[in-house]
Amino acid sequence: MLSHIPDCIELVDYIDDGEQARHYLFRLLNLAHSKNKNHPHHWQQVQPGQFFMLNVPSIGEAPFTFTEPPNERGEFKAFIRQMGQVTSTLFSMQRGAILGARGPFGRGWPLDKIVNHNTLIIAGGCGLAPLVTLIDKLTNNSPDKPTDKLANKAKNKQQLILVYGARNKAAQMLTPERARWQKQIKIFNTLDATDEYTSTNANTRANTSDNTRANNSNELRATTVQGSPLMILPTALSTFTRPPTTALLCGPELMMSSAATYLTEHGMTSDAIFLALERRMHCALGLCGHCYIKHQYVCKSGPTFSWQALQQLKAD
Amino acid sequence: MKIYLLDDLQHLQAHLAQDYQFHQVVTNNNGQYHWQQLASDETQPLVHDKPQSSAKGFFFAEQESLLVFNGEYFQETLPTPKPFVLFGVQSCDLTAIHYQDKFFKDDRYYQARRQQCLLVGLDCINPCEHGFCPTVNAGPGVREEHADIVLHPLGHKWLVIEQTSKAAEALQALALIETHWHYLTQRDLTLHQCEQKFPDDKYITDGIKKLNSGTITDEFWQTLAIQCRGCSGCTTLCPTCSCYGTRAIKQDNNAFSQQRFWDSCLYEGFQREASFNNPSAEAGTRVERFWQHKFADEFFTEFSRHSCVGCGRCEQTCPGVIGVHSVMKRITKEGGQENGPEVTHA
Repeated sequence: MLSHIPDCIELVDYIDDGEQARHYLFRLLNLAHSKNKNHPHHWQQVQPGQFFMLNVPSIGEAPFTFTEPPNERGEFKAFIRQMGQVTSTLFSMQRGAILGARGPFGRGWPLDKIVNHNTLIIAGGCGLAPLVTLIDKLTNNSPDKPTDKLANKAKNKQQLILVYGARNKAAQMLTPERARWQKQIKIFNTLDATDEYTSTNANTRANTSDNTRANNSNELRATTVQGSPLMILPTALSTFTRPPTTALLCGPELMMSSAATYLTEHGMTSDAIFLALERRMHCALGLCGHCYIKHQYVCKSGPTFSWQALQQLKAD
Repeated sequence: MKIYLLDDLQHLQAHLAQDYQFHQVVTNNNGQYHWQQLASDETQPLVHDKPQSSAKGFFFAEQESLLVFNGEYFQETLPTPKPFVLFGVQSCDLTAIHYQDKFFKDDRYYQARRQQCLLVGLDCINPCEHGFCPTVNAGPGVREEHADIVLHPLGHKWLVIEQTSKAAEALQALALIETHWHYLTQRDLTLHQCEQKFPDDKYITDGIKKLNSGTITDEFWQTLAIQCRGCSGCTTLCPTCSCYGTRAIKQDNNAFSQQRFWDSCLYEGFQREASFNNPSAEAGTRVERFWQHKFADEFFTEFSRHSCVGCGRCEQTCPGVIGVHSVMKRITKEGGQENGPEVTHA
């Protein structure tokens, strides 16, 4: 039977990062952690790209991706942007508050087509969030590093390039993550705005004096160019020693469809391009109907789809 | 299966009303037909006309609490209905319940109600206004497995068909005597005659073919959608529409309950996200979605039928005159190329 009932979680901590966005640390309470490795708890089987439903009891539920999956203590992270009622109420809550979470839900990124394959990742704004756990795993930055066979398998066998676009400096997010990855993978940061990417002060957030953040920003500034992710794609593709065989896209749908079209026109097959979609969801169980695309529901069939599958759906 | 002949239907009604909460379609003062719970000592004549609302609300509640959060933990609020009987459900609505049984098979709230219900079906022996159940394989006779008991009128008598073990248990104390199987042949003949009385609706089968041919243009849907007022009349009355929203309700004791309520894919904000991105901002997209959900072959694959059960309530209620008959006629005439690929179902 499908469950509408969340598990209790504690809001442990949060840090600001980017325009009205935060990294949240939650902890699952009363996590019945299975000692049997053959039957791990469902919260410990999160795949990169999957999501959970966050329940803010006074308002309701909304879907969010994990930026760090639950560990053995039940702690997990999510990157959340203040947008609607659920997130606005969350942003007003204090550390120690009790909320709910259901999950994990959906189909994550196709690991069999990513590990050991040259992969191009294109993300826009907070669309980078569903890729965090994946990039962490592939770059061996995963918190579960000691047992992470995926990272070891991928190590030195693939080339990973990230193109990250944002409207302007303030809309750039996940700064610590990008700074961390930059030591291991090539990152192209792009800004739509024309007057900010060269500004020496633009990378320092007005409301924080955190030195680490400023250092991270300074490092990223050196790789930031003006324009859209599409404009940097020829450069990004030519940076690969061998052409990428997989592309992962997440961000505004127009950006994703434009990028997917460009990539197919430049030699990639549509079944090698994967997109993570965002949709309004009320149940994540394939029942409420809100996240439909034709006859499929993003909460069950997605949120990741191949470009081929999406094109087929639109043609149906 | 066992079959009985009954002289007096009140005998059966009174018997079932003793053991079950008894619901039946009745006529109100305005001459409208609707479901109503009757007292255990009250019987009313069986209405053969289609009720304004289907029976879906008995299982998928129009609004209901899913859980309560008391500040410390979340508690499921499953319904605990007493056993109840829906007496005289017509075949189209029974087909819809069968469809919803599959859709909500893992939904504890739906199943908590469904499992307490005894379904007594009623064969239709005359077409109803706007109805086209034979065209979509949903009537006029009650389908096997769609009801526990089937009632078929035989002049002044009733054929009672016991189809499930739940029915056998419910009827046991009545000590009915089994009757001849030839009455089933008579039933088949009557139902066949009823089917012949339905008006020609080839435009519906043609419309289904065209809808699945992929040739209907976005412009067609946009034009059609000008007449959609987003009132949700069709989705509310459609027995297989099941979209819902959720909301939190503050309770007196500072606890919060989370409720779900019937929603409509025809509302402008149905898919609108907090960021105001709206994949179905265009009315044409929403109207197309509604009709795709009713007739697209992709849903046929999952549910072994199209979701439309031919009750015609959308035609009856739509203030913009884009119910099923109007839409299918327009799809057939204006919806795109004349000859789409052949459809295997329908």
